[in-house]
Amino acid sequence: MESQETSSIGAEALLHMSPGSAVSVAYHPLFGPHDDLIVLELDDKLLPDVLHERCVLNSQLFVVLCTQSKTFAMKFVGTSNSVLLIPPANQYVFDQNPQNGANNHKEKVVAPVIKVVPGNMELVEVAPRLDKLKLLLSQNPCRLEEFDSSEVNPETRAGLYNWKDLKNNIQASDEELRSGLQALSAVEINSYWRLVDERYMNMILEMVLRNAVLNDWSLSALNEDEVVSMLVTDGFPAELARHCLHVYGEKVIDGTDTCAWKLDKKRVCIHFAREILRGGKMKLESFMDEWRQRTPDEMQPTFDLVEGEVLTERIGVETWVRGFSVSSLPSTPAERFSILFKERPKWEWKDLQPYIRDLNVPGLTSEGLLLKYTRRTQPSPEIEPIFSAR
Amino acid sequence: MEIRVRCNCGEDKEEGRCKEWAIVELQGVVEPQPGFHDSLPNLQIGTLCRPSSQEVYTLTIGYHELTGSKVPLKKPMMVLKKVKHSPLDRGESSGCGEIELQVVGIIRHRILFKNRPKALISKPQPTSKERQKSIMLGSVPSNQAL
Repeated sequence: MESQETSSIGAEALLHMSPGSAVSVAYHPLFGPHDDLIVLELDDKLLPDVLHERCVLNSQLFVVLCTQSKTFAMKFVGTSNSVLLIPPANQYVFDQNPQNGANNHKEKVVAPVIKVVPGNMELVEVAPRLDKLKLLLSQNPCRLEEFDSSEVNPETRAGLYNWKDLKNNIQASDEELRSGLQALSAVEINSYWRLVDERYMNMILEMVLRNAVLNDWSLSALNEDEVVSMLVTDGFPAELARHCLHVYGEKVIDGTDTCAWKLDKKRVCIHFAREILRGGKMKLESFMDEWRQRTPDEMQPTFDLVEGEVLTERIGVETWVRGFSVSSLPSTPAERFSILFKERPKWEWKDLQPYIRDLNVPGLTSEGLLLKYTRRTQPSPEIEPIFSAR
Repeated sequence: MEIRVRCNCGEDKEEGRCKEWAIVELQGVVEPQPGFHDSLPNLQIGTLCRPSSQEVYTLTIGYHELTGSKVPLKKPMMVLKKVKHSPLDRGESSGCGEIELQVVGIIRHRILFKNRPKALISKPQPTSKERQKSIMLGSVPSNQAL
C-alpha cells in the first residue's frame, strides 16, 4: 500500500476526487458535538457582506443578522438526515492530538468528519424593530428649558442615547436605524440622539416663518446662514435652527456655495394641522379656517394633505375632524390593525389606506396584509368594500 | 448585544480565499457498534468512491452500499465558529467576554445519498463495524414475502 501525502486529508480530497478513486470517510481525531460550530445558509447576494465583515448579529429578543441595509431573523432548521461535516486539511488543528501520527489511515486518502450537523441556520428578511426607538427617545425629549439653564445638569443624562446605545438596543441595520431616526425627526445634539418637544419645534418654525415675512425671504430659497444666525440671536441653539430646516424643508441644489432651503408645503401644513387639532376634535369648517390662517400665504393647505393625520366623522349634518396620526401607530401589522379596529370597527379603503401604506413586511404585499388581518365585505360590486377585524 | 461576524479568509477577502468545507449527507443515523462509542476518533465510517467521471458516488458502510451524487447547494452555507474573548484579551477590566463569530469556511457542494442502502451480501452481519440505523434496513421492502 502506498502512503499518500498529508495534504490529501480533508475536504479537498473529497471535493476533488478523480474518477476511479476512493476516499476513506472517518471520524476526525477531534470528533465531537462542537456546539461552537454553526452552519449558516445564506443567499449569494449576502456573501460579500459577510466576507467583508459588514454584518453583525444582534441578540436581544431573538437573534437577527444585520447587514448595512437590512435585517434578517435567524431561524434554526433541523434535519433528520445525517449531515457529516468535513473541514479542509490543516484547518482543524490536527496536531492537538500527538498520537494522531500513529493512526492507521496512512494507506488511504481520508475525509475526517468533525461533527454531525443537526441542522443549519437560515436567514429570513424581517422588518426592523423600530417601535422601541420612539419609546427610548421619548424618555427625554429636548425642551426649551434645557437651553434656558446655562449649567449642564448631570441628571439630564438619564434617558439619553448615543448611536452606540441605540445600536445596542434596537434590532436594525445601520441604514434602517438612520432612516428610523429621520422618520422620527430626531436630531443629534452633543452626540445624543434626541426628539425635540413638539411645542419647542413649533416655536422655532413660527420664528422662521415670522422672520421670513419680516425680512422678505422666499420660503423656496431660505439662506441657511441667515436663518440660523437670526434664530441664534433670538436665543435658539444653532443645531436646532438647522434641524428645523431639515425637518420642514429640502436643500436646494443650485450650484452656488450658499446653502439654501425650500420649505416643504406638505410638512409645514401637517405641522400646523397637528398643532390645531392638539386641543381635540373640531368642526371641519373651523379647522380649515384656522389652518389657512396659520400656514404661510404661499402654502394654501388642501384637505388631501392630511391623509393619515386626520379622521373625519359625520355627526348629523356636520363633519368633524380630529387628529389621528399614522406616525403615532405601531409598526408591526398585528398591533397596527388592532389599534385601527379599536378606533373604528369598519373602514373604507380610502380611509384605511393612508394608515397602512407604510407597513413594511418583507415578502407580504399590501393585499396579503389585508387578507391576513382584515375581513373584507362588499355586498355588491358597485359598493366600496368595507374592512373589519377578523 | 451585538456580535460581530469576522472573516479571516485572507487579506483581500476574495470569495475564493474562503476555504471550502465538505458535507456528506445520508438518510437515517450512522450508529457505531456499542463497543465503539467511546473510541470514535479516527474510527473509519466507510469508503467513498467515485467509480466514473460522472458526479456519482458510492459510500460503503460495513456491508451496505449507498449510491448518491455530488450536488451544488442552492445557497452557499458559511461555517461559523463562536469565539469568546475573555475581557483580559483586550485589556478591559470590566464586562463579560465579548462573543464573536468567525467565518471559518464555506460550503458549496454536498455529496448526497438520498436512497436506501443496498446490501452487499444477502444476510446482514451483526458483526459489521458500522451499520445504518435499523429503521433504514428494516424498511427495505421485501419481495420474498409469501
